[in-house]
Amino acid sequence: MLYTRGVNTPNTLESLEPCSKQYSLKADLKLNTWLAVATVVALVSQYLLRLNPFWSSPLRAAVALAPVAPGLLYVRSWFRFVRGLDELQRRIQQEAMLFAAVGTVVIGAVINVLDTNGIAVPGLRHGLELGGTFYAMGGLWLVGTAIANCRYK
Amino acid sequence: MKNQLGELRAGKTWSQGDLAEKLGVSRQTINAIETEKYDPSLPLAFKIARLFKQPIEKIFVPAD
Repeated sequence: MLYTRGVNTPNTLESLEPCSKQYSLKADLKLNTWLAVATVVALVSQYLLRLNPFWSSPLRAAVALAPVAPGLLYVRSWFRFVRGLDELQRRIQQEAMLFAAVGTVVIGAVINVLDTNGIAVPGLRHGLELGGTFYAMGGLWLVGTAIANCRYK
Repeated sequence: MKNQLGELRAGKTWSQGDLAEKLGVSRQTINAIETEKYDPSLPLAFKIARLFKQPIEKIFVPAD
């Protein structure tokens, strides 16, 4: 049964690209449903917090942190997806993620050094901040994936 | 690591895609192994050996 057609089909990144021929709604939903849930929960929790400014601190904290649970489940679905990738794709993703993590640390350190020496970086008054960190990691992940793909082409 | 995968595959007149499907990996993986840019994991090497009914050491040979 080891080589039966379809049994060993690995996950592919193309199955998540809507314009790709290999796009799979099932794979997309399996991966991104928790992201959608986290987004909805975040919007609702922000709305509730704005509507009820006099709630107690523990209640406000609980409502504010409500999106964390579906967010963690989203991370879990990514881990499962990566684990199901073909072994070369998994290596490419590991290299790309390492590239993104190290690159983000380097960018953050450079900005910090410039900042402490009084050299202002346009658009960044307090280091990379959370949003900047996400953008830097996402951008570097794309670059890292492209580099690793070229290496194994 | 040098390997005979390309020759063995050609002997069966399989495309890289056919072999990838039989082994449950991507076509890129087969291409990377054949061009010796990537060494397969031990489980994949065993799958390849079993598929071609050859001992692993006949398919994969250390480079030095």
